[in-house]
Amino acid sequence: MISDRPRVGVVKLASCDGCQLTLLDLEDELLPIVGRFDLIEFPEATSLRSAGPYDVLLVEGAVSTPEQAEEIVHLRARSRLLVSIGACATAGGIQALRNWTDEPDWRASVYPEAGWIESLATATPVSEYVPVDAELRGCPIAPGQLLELLTALRIGRRPQLPAESVCLACKRRGNECVLVARGIPCLGPVTVAGCGALCPTFGRGCYACFGPREEANVASLHGWLAADRSTQEVDRLFAGFTAWSPPFREPAARAVAVAETHHPRKDDPDA
Amino acid sequence: MVTDAGFLPRADLDRLIGLLREGGRTVIGPTLDDGALVYAEIGSADDLPTGWTDDAAPGRYRLVRDEGQRTFGLGPPPQGLKRFTFPSRAPLAVAERTAEGAVTFTAAVPDPPRLAFLGVRPCEVAALLVQDRVLAGGPFVDEDYRARRQASLVVAVACTRSGSTCFCASMGTGPEVTAGHDLAMTELDDGFVVSAGSRAGEQLLARLALPAVTPDQHATATAAVAGARAAQGRQVVTTGLRDRLMDQLDHPRWAEVAERCLACANCTMVCPTCFCTSTALDSDLDGAATRMERRWDSCFTGDFARVAGGNFRPRRQDRYRQWLTHKFATWVDQFDTFGCVGCGRCITWCPVGIDVREELAAIAPPYEELPTATPVVAGSTSAYSTAVVRSVTPETADTSTLALVPGDDALLAARPGQFVMVEQPGFPPLPISVSRVADGALWLTIRAAGPATTATIALRPGAQLGLRGPLGRGWDIQRAVGRDVVIVAGGIGLAPVRPIIDTVLRDREKFRHVILAYGARTPADRLYVDEMADWADRGMVVTEIVDRAGPEWLGRVGIVTHLLDQRDFHDRPATAFVVGPERMMEATVATLAERGVPRERIFVSLERHMQCGIGLCGHCQMGPFFICRDGPCFAVSELGDLFGREGI
Amino acid sequence: MNEHDFVAELGATWFGAGLSLHARARLGECARLLTHPANDVLLREGDDTPFFGILTRGRVGLRMRVPERGPVTILTVEPGDVVGWSALVPPHRATSTAVTIEPSTLIEFEPRRLRELLEHDLALSATLYPRLLEAIGRRLSATRQQLLDLYAQQAEPVPW
Repeated sequence: MISDRPRVGVVKLASCDGCQLTLLDLEDELLPIVGRFDLIEFPEATSLRSAGPYDVLLVEGAVSTPEQAEEIVHLRARSRLLVSIGACATAGGIQALRNWTDEPDWRASVYPEAGWIESLATATPVSEYVPVDAELRGCPIAPGQLLELLTALRIGRRPQLPAESVCLACKRRGNECVLVARGIPCLGPVTVAGCGALCPTFGRGCYACFGPREEANVASLHGWLAADRSTQEVDRLFAGFTAWSPPFREPAARAVAVAETHHPRKDDPDA
Repeated sequence: MVTDAGFLPRADLDRLIGLLREGGRTVIGPTLDDGALVYAEIGSADDLPTGWTDDAAPGRYRLVRDEGQRTFGLGPPPQGLKRFTFPSRAPLAVAERTAEGAVTFTAAVPDPPRLAFLGVRPCEVAALLVQDRVLAGGPFVDEDYRARRQASLVVAVACTRSGSTCFCASMGTGPEVTAGHDLAMTELDDGFVVSAGSRAGEQLLARLALPAVTPDQHATATAAVAGARAAQGRQVVTTGLRDRLMDQLDHPRWAEVAERCLACANCTMVCPTCFCTSTALDSDLDGAATRMERRWDSCFTGDFARVAGGNFRPRRQDRYRQWLTHKFATWVDQFDTFGCVGCGRCITWCPVGIDVREELAAIAPPYEELPTATPVVAGSTSAYSTAVVRSVTPETADTSTLALVPGDDALLAARPGQFVMVEQPGFPPLPISVSRVADGALWLTIRAAGPATTATIALRPGAQLGLRGPLGRGWDIQRAVGRDVVIVAGGIGLAPVRPIIDTVLRDREKFRHVILAYGARTPADRLYVDEMADWADRGMVVTEIVDRAGPEWLGRVGIVTHLLDQRDFHDRPATAFVVGPERMMEATVATLAERGVPRERIFVSLERHMQCGIGLCGHCQMGPFFICRDGPCFAVSELGDLFGREGI
Repeated sequence: MNEHDFVAELGATWFGAGLSLHARARLGECARLLTHPANDVLLREGDDTPFFGILTRGRVGLRMRVPERGPVTILTVEPGDVVGWSALVPPHRATSTAVTIEPSTLIEFEPRRLRELLEHDLALSATLYPRLLEAIGRRLSATRQQLLDLYAQQAEPVPW
């Protein structure tokens, strides 16, 4: 159990702030939340800064720079519960695609003065640096799951974050399967639920922004999809927001390798 | 009674729809919505998908134009009528707690829409009959389902075409309509042969006042349906299928199919008979009010068979085996019918095209008979009553015994081995064994294994919570009368056997030697220490052993089977009751059997993930049993070779 | 020790009941029956094992010492079972400390003479060693089960 008025912090590492904004998107629930939690740090909403300690710290973003790698260790030490939120914090995010590339090379191709940029060779999830008590997946996270997390914290129960595929939510909504009925590649079967099957509901395939589910059978789905299209095309599906998740790494790595071969960088001497 | 058939000209289909719509009834039929075939409201015959058919194959489905201009030319829609009779989400109850701690439960009252299902395929009608057995035909009933079924009419249409994934002919559910309908139709070029299958159907048919079917029309209709049957052939051999399948629990194909299976649950979601559900909680921020909702779940999800400490079916191969053996084998034990109607949806809508017909053919023959269990309790999924905590007695550092005064006296009738569902608003319900019934209170010994159990033992006297039960089949203590009684408990497993001890000591002279063998982790983890001397005084041999101890412990150290080393029951008829972690029970059962206690008289209590407690939610299934309803107490012989098997 | 008494005493134990009459008679040549008070240290972990014994009455705890945890009892030996099997298996050093928990009586065999006997009397060896292996095997499988820590708290590592 947490104290009556838990001290909550929201901080970010390498990310776009979209997940933090989900808290503001709760709208109707926002005032009740502020009434029950002490938001002692939340840069998107308040100029208050805190050094902690936190009952609960929501961390957005991947660990991408040496400062962030240090900071996350300090933050962990000051947090009773640390919850990583969003694809960047839980899987490394889209920026983790650089983990398969030659970092200094890549940096030089983007920034005019590469020497000013200090970054790690990899962008990786918070859990690769410190223990994480819970994860909210997604790009961005689902408002309902955030609310459930906060509610569960208040009541003292385990949050209901189902370990099921996107397909269950899709079918509960009554959708027709876009993969079977329209041949649209969809990663729903290997992706954990939480989004409410948003993409398939609007007729497009799931691109796994919530990351892999438990027992994700990537090899089987990959093989099935590759029967109707090129392996490269299928590999690219996995090279998205959660590419660095272990079950997706193999196809994602191939996709990045192919992209590097086919699209040499502008400063590549061989180009 | 079936009246004579009439002929409904195609142009008159709207007359039928009009009749069905009378009295505010909504007609639900196949229709195209944004390029997808769905069951939805039908205003007139124009809404029906005339001129369309489908091309279904494993993992592939396309709608195609049909030159034949049939109104009902499409096979079963992607999702069946289950959406209307057993919705994917349905309210169960609202649990509330006032600031003063008063707890109330308000069960949802079914409010079914009046529906008429039009154009229902025979496999779909058969699926309704299967779900009728599962959800409304047993000792316990899903009230929402029953209400919805009673408020609906079924107008079925025989199939005159078979899709490539159809196998109703093998399962005995089609292509003709044989039962479960109010009206049945067979579509011809210019209209429909219509017959009634119920009183309501007869009345409709009478009001339609149709011309009699001509011998030609009759012959054409019969031939068309026979053609659909012939096109299917026999794809699944059902003779002995239950036994053939249950004998192959170790077949290497389970691992092989798991290489392909995504465990995505699509097969179970589109299956018209799958009924597994979970209770989802929606609490306000203070936990003052929690809406409890029944939601479709699946034996393929990661949480489905999980308990604190582990998952009984962690691997895809465990889950696939669970699903397939349930559909084609254990369903027969439970409901006297297959759980499959041959609609082919699980084949068509499997994202990687796994075909149950092929899997069944690959995983095959011989057999062994498993016994059935008799359910013995009463209850419904939302029938919580409020109970008051009378006292909380700490037993060990993490375990306490709560004495609860139930609001409903029926709970005090709990028999040894039965359990109750304990519900604190906002928390998932907990199945807890009754450890004693005394002084108008139900005693529950609970170990803090997670948030809900921790919160429960943190309650103070006077606090309120919800109880439902008593549930499950208890111990068959009758089988111990006149015999030696051996009670073996490990850890918290002493709680569910304490009512046996109470019963035996109350009528001590009815039994011969009574032995308790109790194993605990350490001396500090032992339960009911203060009572043990009293038990010994009243004529029971109490022996204890711990896994490890400090030098202050003068008792035995080792494993619980060591307490049985010196015993031999070959010449002394004995009955044994065993409760503890599954591994401990396996070792104990092996030791007892070796020492002459027959497996028919060794009883165990099994732990599984229980949510509903009455065999309706599916979580706790083990082979032919729902542990909550058919157990949790079993004779080891009843379990056959399921006992101790991994991933069941 | 009177030979007749010894054969009877040994035959009444779990360990001795499986031995042949010949074996029991031969073993009597190097045995004595001793009663120890409670809290007597019979064997000390790491030291030479002073005897191979069979417990006939009482209870003996097998303990191991863990720094800052003190002595931990791993197993209790009950009547019929053996104490000091390491006397027959090189390097003949005790694998745990054996302490009498209550007054206990043991048939104790002088290790050097017993080993000589076993070396020369193959019939005796052939009947004693399988029994000894059975006793050690039972301990091994019990230890494995204890290792599983089946009654341990199995809550998931979620902090709420």
